[in-house]
Order: sequence, then structure tokens, then C-alpha cells
Amino acid sequence: MIENYPRLREFRYTLFRIFRNPTAVLGFVLLFFFLFVAVCAPLLAPPKNPYNPYMMPHKGYSPIPRPPNSTFVFGTTSGQYDIFYGVVWGTRTAFRVGLFVVGIAALVGITLGGLAGYHGGIVDEVIMRFVDVIFAIPTLVLAMAIVVAFGRGLNNIMIALALVVWRNYVRVMRSGILTLRDQDFVAAASVMGVSDFKIILRHILPNAIYPVLVIAFMDMGSMVITAAFMSFVGLGAPKGYADWGQMVALARNYIVGPVEDPLRFWYTICYPGGCIILFVLAWNLIGDALRDAFDPKLRRG
Amino acid sequence: MPTLIEVKDLVTNFYTYEGVVRALNGVSLTIHHGTTFGLVGESGCGKSVFAHSLLRIIPAPGRIESGQVLLHINSNSEPRVIDLLRQSETYMESLRGDRISMVFQEPGSALNPIMSIGEQVAESFLFHRQKEMSAAVLEALGDDRSRIPQPLKSILIALYRRAQQNPKAPILRLLNRLPLLRWWGRPMQRQALLRAMAIIASLGIANPEEMLHRYPHNLSGGMKQRIVIAVALACHPMLLIADEATSNLDVTIQAQILELLRELKQRTEISSILLITHDLGVVAETCDQVGVMYAGNLCEAAPVTELFRTPRHPYTQALLNSVPQFSHTGELHSIEGSVPNLVAPPPGCRFHPRCPQAMAICRRAFPETVAVNHDHQVACYLYTQNPRKALGDGQALE
Amino acid sequence: MIAFITRRLLFLILVLFGVSVIIFGILMTFSPERRAAAYVATPQQAKDIPRIIEQYGLDDPFYQQYFRWLGEVLSGNLGWSLVATRPVREAFLYLLPFTLELNLCAAPLIILIGIFLGTQAGIHRDSGLDHVTRVSAIVGWSLPTFLFALLLLMVFYGYFALFPPGVISDDIAIWIADHPDIYRRFTGMYTIDGLLNGHPEITLDALTHLVLPVTTQVIVVVALLMRVMRSGMIEEISRDYVTTARAKGADRRTIYLLHARRNALIPVITVAGQLVAFSMEGSIAVEVVFNRQGIGQWLAASATQLDMPVLMCMCLFMGVVFVITNLIIDILYAHIDPRIRLG
Repeated sequence: MIENYPRLREFRYTLFRIFRNPTAVLGFVLLFFFLFVAVCAPLLAPPKNPYNPYMMPHKGYSPIPRPPNSTFVFGTTSGQYDIFYGVVWGTRTAFRVGLFVVGIAALVGITLGGLAGYHGGIVDEVIMRFVDVIFAIPTLVLAMAIVVAFGRGLNNIMIALALVVWRNYVRVMRSGILTLRDQDFVAAASVMGVSDFKIILRHILPNAIYPVLVIAFMDMGSMVITAAFMSFVGLGAPKGYADWGQMVALARNYIVGPVEDPLRFWYTICYPGGCIILFVLAWNLIGDALRDAFDPKLRRG
Repeated sequence: MPTLIEVKDLVTNFYTYEGVVRALNGVSLTIHHGTTFGLVGESGCGKSVFAHSLLRIIPAPGRIESGQVLLHINSNSEPRVIDLLRQSETYMESLRGDRISMVFQEPGSALNPIMSIGEQVAESFLFHRQKEMSAAVLEALGDDRSRIPQPLKSILIALYRRAQQNPKAPILRLLNRLPLLRWWGRPMQRQALLRAMAIIASLGIANPEEMLHRYPHNLSGGMKQRIVIAVALACHPMLLIADEATSNLDVTIQAQILELLRELKQRTEISSILLITHDLGVVAETCDQVGVMYAGNLCEAAPVTELFRTPRHPYTQALLNSVPQFSHTGELHSIEGSVPNLVAPPPGCRFHPRCPQAMAICRRAFPETVAVNHDHQVACYLYTQNPRKALGDGQALE
Repeated sequence: MIAFITRRLLFLILVLFGVSVIIFGILMTFSPERRAAAYVATPQQAKDIPRIIEQYGLDDPFYQQYFRWLGEVLSGNLGWSLVATRPVREAFLYLLPFTLELNLCAAPLIILIGIFLGTQAGIHRDSGLDHVTRVSAIVGWSLPTFLFALLLLMVFYGYFALFPPGVISDDIAIWIADHPDIYRRFTGMYTIDGLLNGHPEITLDALTHLVLPVTTQVIVVVALLMRVMRSGMIEEISRDYVTTARAKGADRRTIYLLHARRNALIPVITVAGQLVAFSMEGSIAVEVVFNRQGIGQWLAASATQLDMPVLMCMCLFMGVVFVITNLIIDILYAHIDPRIRLG
């Protein structure tokens, strides 16, 4: 029955290709886990300060981290911040950062890429030269420069990253539109009298969006990493904010403990660090599975 | 005419997501020395799969399930019969390009874009003619005029003596993998290029020396196909398989290529040709024997004039009927229905849903191949003497 | 081919120009006082900001300031670094070799491992090796460089007490500082200078300090290369000329290495530019975590302390690296692909 609807059949085949990969299943499981944690954050780690739940509670100011015990399930960082609290609310921060940056960047990138691909001519030239120039500077360096200009803080990191990362989407969108625009099926639709706008919407966009989706998923991970590093270096969230990168920064002086017990403070880095790794891994696994599923050359191999 | 290759009950399947595609359903045919065998059929009937199965270059997820491909080698010693399906991959590698060669449909993409023409044609010699070329190199080395200084010369002579006996000797293979020491093969590569030039020239291509240094993207379609043929002919194969070799060329070039093939066969550079095509006109002009395939089965095989004059199988008849004639007026004849899905093919004879002369028995089991004439075979119940016997005793016809 | 290279050169000059405009634009969001630091070249001038604003016309329109600044840059004055308490140019030239050393050690490893594993994964698609390679590639891509570096430090330095952080051991550093006549700084890289000065133990020590940083760098960047190589191989193997080669009787090695891989390397080369950029970013994290001096660590410190001239210098440098890398890629491209070479 489903065989009669080619779109549905292709969709089911795509799902098969995605989930045929055990790694993709793992990715989805991880992602849902983090989603759950983020949504249930107030339940899992009740905020001490309802107006600013992102500031981690701390008992005391001692710089020496304390190991996991009954009150502090994951232990405390340098400065006595609750690691468990930070990890839970840090999930929300991670989603915020990722979705904001990728959302805005993708929107801007798709629009500009679409304009360039569709109109061609001088619009295309100008946009693409600008993108070419902006590609010359690596993401981290350019984002740092913008943050230095605008000032520190998590919000500024997000804005800076969004201002840099849109460039990833322009070329892909544009090339997608260009290839599709020249394909026979678009010419056929045009000859049959379908309007330009409808052609873009129903034929070109659904096909051109796939590589953009793949990049978006991979970027979610990359952005969290870059933001975490910038926080680690001190450009991001203030000390005590529930951000995984910030927490790793707090652990910086305690990576190597005293000589007789060098791994004593493992929890200060392993819990927040592990969260970063797993979160990014989830998005990357899904993105990779999507890429394999969408690539027409690898299909039906 | 002695037999060259005998195929018996070849079955090939493809294991895909949508199911098992039964591409070849027990194909049997015979090609004789010195003949051109044309294999016709619609797109998707399995002609290409058949050709690829002969050479065993079916890509995954395909697999040759069963059958025999018997190659009759009448060398100077006693004649031997070799079942290609039972041989090792190494044997097949030595066979491909040497005894059996193949030319493909798309000349545009059949050549490696970053290798020169000379390199690609020479490769055939480097794969299969190392012994002869080593002898030639030794001769050149023995000549006092060669400019190579003495210690190097003895090393080279020793290496090439080894190569003459056993091109695949481990020491030679090792040397080939090391970046600088690979230089020992230069003289042989030069030999191979000379031979490449010779074969390119023998195909009637002007300026063969210049051609050696050109690249595929500089050439026209017809020229590329000629080069592909040169590659295939380099070692004088016994059988040349041309898989829709002219389908993508325009008609004038097509005529030239076919004329070239005919000429080459006359000059006995090739012994036999298996010409795969969907164009009946080409078959009529160039082939001695014809086989008609439909949906993975061989329906009919006969000498060319007999097939065109008295086609027996209903599919052949319908096919010939559908070729537009000059004198014909009115609508064109077509065959009702469409080609079956090979994942779930019709039971019994795969043509029976579209056959105007289908009988009840046709959907029970696939008909045996029957010899209607001494050289003419059909697989159809219309010609089976005893249909009951074909089904086994005790089964009703209805 | 000449036309091709000329066109690319012009394009790359445009890129440099564009990069400088963008950086300058970012700079202009600062107040004149902060911007004054970009014009300072000596310690005395650093105290003289209001005069500098006056003198350099930091209140003038954008394009005037831009060309003035461009003039300064082109004559070699990149400003004053508060972090390094030295002119930017001097600090840059001093710190660059350390970063170069790290990347020059990592690059060949990345290329060899990436190409080899990627090819194998592409040939034996969907096999165990392919899955392992893909998974490790994804994990490598998911690991934040700084986190991975921290973990390596924790385990191999903290627990096993091998491979210390830093560039060189303290005693050797002191010895070098005490003997400027014996130890001459040729290239600025301890590994090479150690040998050139006849002190191989310095080279050995530097190499020990390089193990962890290079490992981090390699593992994170090789992931990207493996992925591209793998998909390139898969695509080329399915092409018609490979079938032709098979029908010629080529053995598997010839098909995969001499035919398919050579073609597959072409898209890999184009990705090489991304790899270089990614390596640069990786160097920053590695230098920060392992406390190695180099332009990456300098950049991170400058960003935290809002030292703008340094950031501008780094962006310009990245632009230059981009230009050079693209030029090399274009030349390689033309060399390998005759379609480009001969038009």
C-alpha cells in the first residue's frame, strides 16, 4: 500500500538507510537523553535562585574541589560549585547556544545562497566574492576577533559565532540550486507551465536542503565545541555560570593532582567534559548517518 | 566451426534492498570460433549482466549463482575446456584483456581522465605481455649501442631475465612498490608504448605517436571508442564482447566502428565477437548468429538470416514486427504490456503475460530449449514435442 | 595553465584586500583610545594615547583611516601588543616557529594516516575496518581539541608521568638563556636548532615535549581527512573507467591505488585548505592546554585581555596562509588533473 506513494516509499527507504547504521541509533538515543535532561532541568536540579537558574549554587569558596558525596552527587569544582547542577543546566545552555547559532546562521546562509543561486548575475558575484573572502579566516579566530570587539559574555559568543558560521551554508545552498535548476525535471516542470516560485518551493528546495541539513547537524556539535573553548579561555560565560566549557575552565588547575594521587580530581573534568563529548557525538553521528542516507551516489550501492 | 565458448544454465542474482533481482534465469548459448554473435533484447533484459558474468566482473550486490561457462582453448598442445566460473580470481585477471576483452557503452567515461592515452593502451601490454616485452628489452640491452653504464646494465639484464621467466616474481613486485627503484621498469614501459602506438596505428588512427600523449578529454566520442577498442584488442583476444558499444554514438560513427570491427575480424585480429545491442538493424548487418533475450532468459538463437526470415518465438516475432518499415502505414506495432519486474517475475515463461499465443502451461514452468533446426533453438511450449513430458508425468495440462 | 594561475593570483589578492577591510571594520567598532594601540610601535608611545589619536587622526572617516592603517601594515608596523609588551611584529616572528614546529610534525602524520585509512575504508566498504574507521573518525571529530588535550595530559603526564607539557624542559631553557654564545637561534625551532648547534639532547627533549601535542592535533584533524578520502574512493570505484580497468585484467592493487585513488585525491586536495584552517584552530587549543608558547597561545591571551592589534595581525596572517595554501592547492590540482593543465 505504501508502495503506491513514491515520496513515502523514498522516505521509508531513507529511514531504513539512516537506522541501518547502529551508530545513528546511538546518536538518536543520546540526543533524546540530553533533550530529556534539558527539559527536566528544574526537576533534576532545583534552582536555588529562581531568577537566575543558570548560576551554579556553591557552598563556600574553597578552591580545592571535593569528590562526589551524598550532597554533591558529582562533586564540586574549584570554588565549590555543584558539578551535577552545572552539568544538568549546562545541557540547556548547550542547546541554547547550538540552536541559536545554527538556526540564525542557517537562515541567513540559505537566504543568501538561495538569492545568489536563483538570481545569478551581479547579485551572485557579489555574494560569492564576499563569502570567499570571509572564508579566509578560520571560524575560531574570526569569532574571537568579534568577541574582542563586542565584549565578553555568552550572548556575545553566540552572536559572534552566528556572524561567522552562516558562510558554511551559502555555497552549499547555491550549488544545490544551480545543479537542480539545470536539471531536466525542472525544465520539464517549466515547460508544463508550473510557475517559478512553485518550482523552487516544490522541486528545488526539498532537494537542495539535504546537504544543508547535514551541515546543520554537524555544526550543532562544532558550535558547542567552539563556544566551550571560548568559555574555557575566558571569553564566555562568567565564572559560576552553568556552562560546560566554563566548568572545564574551573578544573584547569586541578587536572593533575598531587604526586601520590594524580587523578584525584578526575570528576571536575570528566563530568562536564564527558557531557560535551557525548552531546557533540550525538549530533555528529546523526549528521553522518544523514549524509550517507542522502547521498544519491551511495544509495542502493 | 569449432566451439569457442559454451554457456550452460547461467544464473545470476542481485541482492538488493527491494529484494532479489533474478537477472539471469538459466541462460545457455554457444559461440563458435570466427563468428559474430549478436545478443538482442530490450533494456533490462539481462544482456549486459550476461556479458559481465562471462568475465566475472559483476559488482556487489550481484552474485553468479550457478551454471557453467566453458571456454575451449585450442592451443598448440591438446585442446582444453575450462569452466570460467570455477577458476580463481587471479586466473580471471590474466584472462581478462588477454583472451576475452570487453568494450563498453560509454566511451566518454570508459577512460581514466588523468592518464594519457598511451599509458592506458600500454597498460594492457604491461598486464599480459611482460614475457615477450622482457625478451625485447633484453635484446635491446644486449645491443652495444645502448647507453646505460655497465653495472646498471647487468642489474637490468638480470632483472629482465627474471621477468621473462616469471613476471610476477616477488622481487620484481617488491621493486615495483618502492618509489625510486621502480625505475627498472622503464625500458619495458617504453616497449609497451611502442606496441601501443602500433595497435593504435593499425586501427587507422592518424598520428599515432601524437595520440599517445593526448588525454581522453581532448578526443571526440568516436575516437575515444576507437581507443577503447585498441585497449581491448591489444593482446589479440579470442573473444571481443561489445556491450552496446555503438549505442551512444551517432549513426555515421556507428557505421565506422562496425566497419572497423568487421575488418578486424577479417584480418583475424579477433576470433569472435559477442555483439550486444538493442538495434536489430545492426544485428542484421554484422552478425552471423543471433540470440534474443527477454527478462533474463534466452528465447531464441539462430543464424541471422534464418531468424529474420522465420522467427519462431512469439517474442521474436513481435520484436521484428515492431520494427517500422518504409512501406508501413498506420500505427506502429508495439508489444502490449511492459517488461516485468525481475524481483517478482511472472512464473513459468516470463513472456507469457504479454504473449499473444500463451497457453495455460506457460505459467507453470519455464519451457525447455528445443532445437527446431540444426542450428536454431527456441524456448517455447509451442515447439515442445511433449509438453506433458516437460512438466513431468501425471500433471494435468489445465 | 598560466591563465589559470594568473586568475587565481588576482582572486587571492582580492581576498587579502577583503580580509583587511573586514578586520579593519571590526577594529573600527572600538573607541579611538583602544584603537590607538594599533599604531604604537615602541613602549614610550604606549603612554601617549591622546596625542596619538590626534596625530593619527583616529577620528577621521573610515576610508582615510583604512588606507593609513594599510600603509602602516605594508611598511611593517603592526602595532603594539599589550600582552607581549613588544611590537606585534617582533612578538609574531619570535613565536611563529614554535607553532610551525608543531604543525610541521603533525602534518605528514595526518596526511599519511588519513590517506591510508581513508583508502582502506573506501575499498572495504561496510566492512569491520570501515565501521571502525568511520566511528573513530566521528569520535575524533566530536572531541573538542582542548578537552582531548586535557585528557591526554591528565593520563599521560599526570598518571604515567611521561611527556611533559611546555616546549622544553626548564633546565635546558635556563641553559640556553645562560649561553647565548654557544646556542644560536637559527630557525627558532628547538628540534632543528638543537641539531644545528650540535646538541642532540635538546632535540630529543623538544621531541618528548612534542609527543602529546602532536598526537592531539593528529587525532582530531585526521578524522576529517579520512572521511573525505573514504567518500572519494567510494565514488571513484563506482566509475566506468574502473570497470574498464577490471576488464583489462588489472589486479586489485592497480585498480584501487593507481586508478581510483589518484582520481580520488583530487577532491581531497581541495579539502586540504579546510584542513589547514582546522589545524590552525587546533593549534590554538593545543598550545593553550599544553602551555606551549606560540602564536596560538598568544592569540588566546590577547583575546582575553582585549589586545586588538594582536587579533588583527592574526587575522591578516590567516588570510595570508589561506592565500598561500590555495595557491599551492591550485598548482597541485593543475599538476594532477590534465583537464585543468591543458585546458
